[in-house]
Amino acid sequence: MIDSIEQLVKRALEAIDQAKETTDLNEIRVRFLGKNGAYTEILRGMKDVKPEDKPRLGKLINEGRVRLETVLAEKEAAFRAAEMARVLEKEAIDVTLDKSQPIGSLHPITKVKNEILDIFVGLGFKVEEGPEIETDYFNFQLMNIPKDHPARDMQDTFYVSENTLLRTHTSPMQAHVMLSQKPPIRIVVPGKVYRADDDASHSPIFNQIEGLVVDKDVSLAHLKGTLDTVAKALFNQDTKTRFRPSYFPFTEPSVEVDVTCSVCGGSGCRLCKGTGWIEILGAGVVNPKVLENCGVDPNEYSGFAFGLGVDRIAMIKYGVPDIRSFYENDVRFLKQYK
Amino acid sequence: MKVLYSWLKDFVKLDDVAPSVLADKLVKAGFEVEETIDLSSSYVNIAVCQITSIEQHPNANKLLVCQVDVGGQGTRQIVTGAHNIQVGDIVPVCLDGAILPDGKEIHTGELRGVESQGMFCGGSELGLDDSDYNGAGFDGIFILNNAFSADRLLLGMDINDLIDTRDVILDVGVTANRPDTNSVYGIAREVAAVLDRPLKPFANLEWKEEGNVEDMVKVSVLAQDLCPRYMIKGLTDITVKASPEWIRRRLRKVGLRPINNVVDATNYVLLEVGQPMHAFDYREVEGQEIVVRRAKSGEHIVTLDGKDSVLDEDNLVICNAQKPMALAGIMGGLASGVKPDTDCILLESARFARDNIRRSSKKLGIRSDSSARFEKGIDYISQEWAIERCVSMLLAQGVGKVKGGVIDVKSELPQDRHLDVSVDKINRILGIVVPPSEMVSILNRLSLKTTLDGDVLKVIVPPYREDIVGANDLAEEIIRLYGYDNIVSTPLDGMHQTHGGLYPRQKWINEIKTLLSGTVGGHEILSYSFVTPKSNDWLGLAKDDPRRHMIEILNPLGEEVSVMRTSLAHSMIKTIAYNLAHSNKDALLYEVGKIYLPDSEQPSREVETLALGAFGEGKDFYSLKAVLDQVASKLNVKLRYHAGSEPYLHPGRNADVLLDGAKIGYIGEVHPQVAARYKIDGRVYIAEIDLEKLIAQAKDHLPYVALPKYPSISRDLAFVIRAKVTGDQILETIKGACDDKLEDLYIFDVYEGKGILSGFKSVAVTVVFRDPNRTLVDQEVVERVDKILVAMKETWGAVLR
Repeated sequence: MIDSIEQLVKRALEAIDQAKETTDLNEIRVRFLGKNGAYTEILRGMKDVKPEDKPRLGKLINEGRVRLETVLAEKEAAFRAAEMARVLEKEAIDVTLDKSQPIGSLHPITKVKNEILDIFVGLGFKVEEGPEIETDYFNFQLMNIPKDHPARDMQDTFYVSENTLLRTHTSPMQAHVMLSQKPPIRIVVPGKVYRADDDASHSPIFNQIEGLVVDKDVSLAHLKGTLDTVAKALFNQDTKTRFRPSYFPFTEPSVEVDVTCSVCGGSGCRLCKGTGWIEILGAGVVNPKVLENCGVDPNEYSGFAFGLGVDRIAMIKYGVPDIRSFYENDVRFLKQYK
Repeated sequence: MKVLYSWLKDFVKLDDVAPSVLADKLVKAGFEVEETIDLSSSYVNIAVCQITSIEQHPNANKLLVCQVDVGGQGTRQIVTGAHNIQVGDIVPVCLDGAILPDGKEIHTGELRGVESQGMFCGGSELGLDDSDYNGAGFDGIFILNNAFSADRLLLGMDINDLIDTRDVILDVGVTANRPDTNSVYGIAREVAAVLDRPLKPFANLEWKEEGNVEDMVKVSVLAQDLCPRYMIKGLTDITVKASPEWIRRRLRKVGLRPINNVVDATNYVLLEVGQPMHAFDYREVEGQEIVVRRAKSGEHIVTLDGKDSVLDEDNLVICNAQKPMALAGIMGGLASGVKPDTDCILLESARFARDNIRRSSKKLGIRSDSSARFEKGIDYISQEWAIERCVSMLLAQGVGKVKGGVIDVKSELPQDRHLDVSVDKINRILGIVVPPSEMVSILNRLSLKTTLDGDVLKVIVPPYREDIVGANDLAEEIIRLYGYDNIVSTPLDGMHQTHGGLYPRQKWINEIKTLLSGTVGGHEILSYSFVTPKSNDWLGLAKDDPRRHMIEILNPLGEEVSVMRTSLAHSMIKTIAYNLAHSNKDALLYEVGKIYLPDSEQPSREVETLALGAFGEGKDFYSLKAVLDQVASKLNVKLRYHAGSEPYLHPGRNADVLLDGAKIGYIGEVHPQVAARYKIDGRVYIAEIDLEKLIAQAKDHLPYVALPKYPSISRDLAFVIRAKVTGDQILETIKGACDDKLEDLYIFDVYEGKGILSGFKSVAVTVVFRDPNRTLVDQEVVERVDKILVAMKETWGAVLR
């Protein structure tokens, strides 16, 4: 009996080994382990076995059965895996092919503008906006540029009437805000500005961000601290700023602010014309006359202000050589800025 | 302003300060140096040589073959086509590798088979003419031995050493607040302060005077408000001739044309002192009288530039007893100037009111170096300096005798001003601590006489520093010499806390842009706010369309950018046309920009507007409408549409966009005729929405709705209905027939054609019913569908398909 069990197990294992697919295994299972299967037959023969042999034989039979079922299951799993692999292989696709799904683009000026505004918002600045068609009074006079003042030559102005014009800078919003809000004031003002100028580095329309802080004891050092932070955030952590003396009627002292060249890091290249520095904005301590003009007591408060050209920063950041590219709106150009 | 390094040396010791170092120091002190031009770099390898032989070229009649002696540099053979030379002449020669001022390079080469080791030059090739040197303007070779004395001509010498081009021009940007530095002397004064070196005085002669100028002329200033100071000095026995070479060369190097010794002297003084002058020919001063007055309306004058101008009371004129001789501060009259036979002159040195010169010059369209100086403002003391300097320069040339005295009609001259500012105040402006002794030292270097009294700086400000009125101005003076690099970055955090951020309106605009620029696939454009007035015709706007009422720019860059847009349509269609012309086949574009509407209360009413534009494959009316609805959905508002009538849209594909029953924009296909005007071939779709109105209704979120617990039941119904009935009308009818169990309702198919009678269409609708509190039974749905069928039949005669 022991022999016949071993024979049977051996035969069954051989059959399993030769099975080619899952149906073969099913057939083998029925043939050996089914109700009328050969192995089941042996089990039936147990009733004729001597009682003292029963435990030993029973154990043997059971072990054989477990072994067969295990091998069958293993083989079945192997077939399933192979089948899955076959299907998957068949379903393989060329992953290099495309199915187009549209993705739009944000105008590079908007991108840079948002980036800069984000930095200032993080520093507690509120974003204010104002009219582009302004009065002479707000654009010039409140900004300490009286009529017939030579400083008017600094900005070629588009007029729409004797006393109305397209704002030449975002600075008139300094006046609007100071006249309507009490210090402490921390604002940035994005917006379009206009000057009668048209070439590769000047567009008659461009975008500025004005900044104004008015509080007690605001100094040139605070201006430097603020702009250092912004320059690092906008370009990179190694960016440094530099002040050069300059003149604006609405600030005193006035400075031009340079940052270390974002391309060469300060060692000198074509973008910075070998100087290692790039001019990005004009700034200064708010002229006490402007504070006074706008109803803020210069003995109690002081402030700083700056105006930066978004177009210029976009040109630097993205390496765009001609400012006019921003206004041609060629889709091939626009698509480069997501 | 262009300043010669050599000229600055007249006033400040600069031997150990190279021009580039000086430029750097000026920049740090607030004077932008736009350019530093080394004049000698324009002349490379050009030498002085003597012609030792001249022979006919063997192969060319018009060419000569010359042997020349270039001193220490040996001999050369030069082929030339010029014939104004003879053996023994000393001429400039370009040697192999030479570069001329115009950039032309000269190399050894062959001319008709004969080697030429360089080229002779004419004066014009060296950038010279007769006003520089005698014979330099001749069209031929520049014969140096006619222009220079023999002792100055060394064979082999570099041409730079002969024509005085070992010099550097500093192009200094003078800011509007510092008109006192609009002169060589003014810059020199700054240089002296920056380098902390003494400033030398003008090198004037002393002279004897005879008689009295008051015997020559009587001066009356009738408009003292426009002429606070008027000075006249008389000179007799003038010989008008060319100025000495050094004066002519200095003027030429900074771009001024030498005229004659008198005019050159006044121009020289203008540059050096910054004071414009004028020399009147005494013979023209009829009635021996000078009157400074406002012009009479209709009076006219022919100025030096030949222009005949009709004047009015805004123009200040310098008159003789009869008529205007000069436009004050702007330009002399053609008749009154110095002529070759002029014998006596009256030198005018005056101060005219800045604003009036500016207005007057602008109005007449006449500008000059003189008016440019007056417009920016000039010093109070420089009238006296200019007369002394000019007289001295003429006398140094042995020209003229000086009449005694000077006529000086002046209103009260401004005096030194006293300014007391605390050291602490300066440091609070700067945000750093500058030692008081340093402040005192810097201010004194800048000719602002300062002493320290306790904590207070007592400063005496001379009249020419009109820009210094308060503590901030002194702070600037101190820091620009102390060094901006000493400013220490200081964070704002010690201040009052402020809460920053965007207004909801700005956030919504960002949301819209993020949506459109994302998977919606829109490309944001940015176009000019000004357009051509012709765009109204291209768009076919009716004569009374309010959009024709545009704000005009008085001084536009061109007609195509001369009016402020009242709609974004033109910009959008133009941008689409540009892209199509550049083979960009399809795109969805959008712009968020302002339109500018005339307003009686304010300069303009500026309305933030959204424009959409679509063209190319896959784009149609419905796809653009879907984009608009996506925007609306993002803002949680519902837009409605009904057939519209924008003139530039296809009459059958043209809708008004409504929000709460009010029109806030339009959408449609651009009329093919309009498209053709923009040279667009193909279908183009645009929409324009008033963003202010849209955003006003925007909601961050809708009220919370619990998710349903019970199932819904939906039915699809296809109606055959007259083709004219709109989807909106059908949905309205169905809605009207339903109660609150109707949860959703939409059209999923519209069909016209085979199987449907002409003039009719099939519209398939899905209706969804639900009760939030229980499961609807079939019978309830059947009843409701019946009501819908009845309503559709009664309202539109529609039947189920």
